[in-house]
Amino acid sequence: MEDYFDWTKEIFDPDKIFSKPEALEGVRVLEICTRVFGPMTAEFLAEFGAEVIKIELPGDGDLMRYTAPLGRFWKDVAVSFFPMNRNKYFVGLDIRKPEGKELFYKLVARSDVVVENFKAGTMDRWGTGYRQLREINPAIIYVANSGFGQWGPNVERPSYDATAQAEAGLAAITGFPSRPPLKVPIYIGDTLGALHAAIGVLVALYRRHLTGKGEFIDVSQGESLLRTMDWTFLFQFLIGSPDGRPRWGNYDPAICPAGIFRCRDGYIGVAAQDDEQFKNLCTALKVPELATDPRFIDQTTRTRTENAKALYSTLSEILRHYTAEEIETLAIKYGFAAAKVANAQDIYNDDHYRARRAIVEFDDPIYGTLVDYGPVPKLSETPGRIRWAAKPVGFHNEHVFKKLLGLTDNEISELTAKGVIGQWSDRPGARPPITWDGRTGTGW
Amino acid sequence: MEKDWFSWAKEQTDPLSSRSKPEALEGLTVIDASFEHMGGLVCSSVLAEFGAEVIRVEPPGGDPARKYTPDGILIRDTGLGYLVEGHNKWHVTLNLRSEEGRKIFKQLSSHADVIIETYPAGLMDAWGIGYRQLSKDNPGLVYLAIYNYGQFGPRAKCGLPDAEIVSQAASGIVYITGEPDEMAPPEFAIPTKVGNWLGWYTAGLFGAFGVLLALNHRHKSGKGQMVDVSGIEAIMGLIDYNIVWYHTQGEIKQRIGNYDTAVFPYTFARCQDGYVFIAAYNDQAFSTLAEVMDRLDLLEDPRFNSFAQRTKLENERALLEIIEQWTSQFTAEEIIQKVQQCISKKKGPAAAVVTGRVNNARETMAQQNWWERGVLAKIHDTNYGELVLQMPPWKMAGAPPRFKWPCRPVGADNEYIYGKYLGYGSLKINKLKEAGII
Repeated sequence: MEDYFDWTKEIFDPDKIFSKPEALEGVRVLEICTRVFGPMTAEFLAEFGAEVIKIELPGDGDLMRYTAPLGRFWKDVAVSFFPMNRNKYFVGLDIRKPEGKELFYKLVARSDVVVENFKAGTMDRWGTGYRQLREINPAIIYVANSGFGQWGPNVERPSYDATAQAEAGLAAITGFPSRPPLKVPIYIGDTLGALHAAIGVLVALYRRHLTGKGEFIDVSQGESLLRTMDWTFLFQFLIGSPDGRPRWGNYDPAICPAGIFRCRDGYIGVAAQDDEQFKNLCTALKVPELATDPRFIDQTTRTRTENAKALYSTLSEILRHYTAEEIETLAIKYGFAAAKVANAQDIYNDDHYRARRAIVEFDDPIYGTLVDYGPVPKLSETPGRIRWAAKPVGFHNEHVFKKLLGLTDNEISELTAKGVIGQWSDRPGARPPITWDGRTGTGW
Repeated sequence: MEKDWFSWAKEQTDPLSSRSKPEALEGLTVIDASFEHMGGLVCSSVLAEFGAEVIRVEPPGGDPARKYTPDGILIRDTGLGYLVEGHNKWHVTLNLRSEEGRKIFKQLSSHADVIIETYPAGLMDAWGIGYRQLSKDNPGLVYLAIYNYGQFGPRAKCGLPDAEIVSQAASGIVYITGEPDEMAPPEFAIPTKVGNWLGWYTAGLFGAFGVLLALNHRHKSGKGQMVDVSGIEAIMGLIDYNIVWYHTQGEIKQRIGNYDTAVFPYTFARCQDGYVFIAAYNDQAFSTLAEVMDRLDLLEDPRFNSFAQRTKLENERALLEIIEQWTSQFTAEEIIQKVQQCISKKKGPAAAVVTGRVNNARETMAQQNWWERGVLAKIHDTNYGELVLQMPPWKMAGAPPRFKWPCRPVGADNEYIYGKYLGYGSLKINKLKEAGII
């Protein structure tokens, strides 16, 4: 039989990605969202072939366009806008205006999924919520993303990613016990919520294949994050401590050892996830006596707080004398888990991630070469792919309004004059780069 | 519209009424053969919550993941980590390290729509029960392999065991989490891990996402496929602009503690009873915050009067100090109320002053919201006793997910599953037990 890795190289061959079908081919998604939670939901679907039409207010559009890190724009883009807005069609349309609403209804009639992340009840009040849209298209799958859900005691409260991190308790368990709780410095409340939302959409699509029925899905940032907080609440329920689950800094209190350790040239993650791996680790570090120490004799014993603390302090003393590479080599030789703490540059230049298209270089018609994360799951038959980068507000207006709604040039000008549809305002974040020729990339 | 939106949405999606509704993944059979890996378990939890029949295959004696638990706490031999992800599944045992065990696995797999495994790449294949072998007789099979280094690429064959901490370390998240130099004592101003099992949870969720993509494709083509998910890459998938920033600016994102590179204020501020999250980063929202704090002078201050100025680190530090002069006079709840009162009179971007109470687990659990929304629930199980567990987070009107039972003891469902799928009676099962196969 062919070598396993020759075979996987062939079935996942990145050079063949664009000659393979897409899992969500033919699925049209209307995204009417701002910032991260909603756009990321649609992004996950767009990576696997859904046709995502991102609807923004004419002019300034999605406010995420202006969250430029350190105030810097690149080719007139706030680059934080890029990762959650790839492969999309950009349309400027004000659905609050009567003609805009009519156009939106027409789009809904020909779409499969609507993603929104307004304050709960807003779309309903505008006459564009699930209750109205299902009348137009009973098979529509409608996902409403919000901070605290579409009903319940907190329904009036606005929320960002860090609201979820704070309220669900993730910050309280991140960081060191003697230091303040730490915010995870990525929009994890949004992106994990978005991943849940995308899963909900796929489940609904699966069911729709069988029943033809649409679905209404309510996804909350805080609830999605809370779901991922492993044993935190069960532990709290059993122990009833006033301070809740304590922060353990860089050590995992439930798998021992598993932690981030200082080494000679940086930091490294090291773990032994079963008793055999623990023996291997002790042998590799030339401290075989630890493996037979009654405090460390098996996984459960090692996780007792006193024992865990003792073991972590012993290991951190030993590991700091090795370089990251030495520890990684020992891990392969003896059989335990280790990887150095990598930064953006390490990852950017890593051949492995490039070969897997986990880091993908692509050529955008108006921004040129871009390098970014690729789709996460690698599918052998229907691989995800990156087609193009985010675009200015209303960039694909003509393409979408002509192709899907059959609008004429005259109608488009009229609606533009009324502010129903429109394109970018003349400010960094919204407008095209100065080098753009006025046509390239618009699909028209 | 006869009902207001909130009552309608509640009536349609309240988990209390989910049990009488159809299940989206009913009829789907999943084998979860994950080993020492909560990610596989998270993935099968998702599928099980939506109605798939999940057969959880553990080695005789149980998966070592049952021992992952804080402070050595076991309930009936099962750790707390596993108890959170054991739900709705049938638990059987099978020794995949034996010839006979693999033969049984192959037979069982012919009934499966989905297989989940988390061994080092190629191990199942070497055992003759990888995707190549199983898909021969079952071309519709969707086979999910979760492994940090993936199934292809230069490091795929390194043979290293998977580990959650490795997902975190290699993904780039640890490098940027933590307090910056000079803002904390040196022993704490270091790269810091995220507190939960982020690597496993994201790997499991992206795994479920990948499986569902493949199942959707199968409707059209009848064909299954292999899905390769890396826990390292799963976290990368959530790290927003880390790479594109490096690409466009040539700069490596560094630790920034509770500050933010892109938006400010977007931070935790010390208050009377702990910390409160405060965000007001666009100009209009910042004006609103200045109004709430009665500090309209800040709007004229050159350090804070534009979005770009506010995101300079030295200005962020100065502004946080000013904000904390205000927040330290109140409790988190008082601050949230004060902001809420003010923004209820504002519209659009000016209303975007956003707060949050930094809760510890006790405080989170004291909030009525999570219980009313049914994302936390107290469960009584005859075997495991009283437990509080997270529930499925999706609220759905048509075919919602649901929680059925928390966990099962090792091998508890051998008789049912082997009887149902392979026709084994107690004679055969006892024989296999004696041989150490199940």
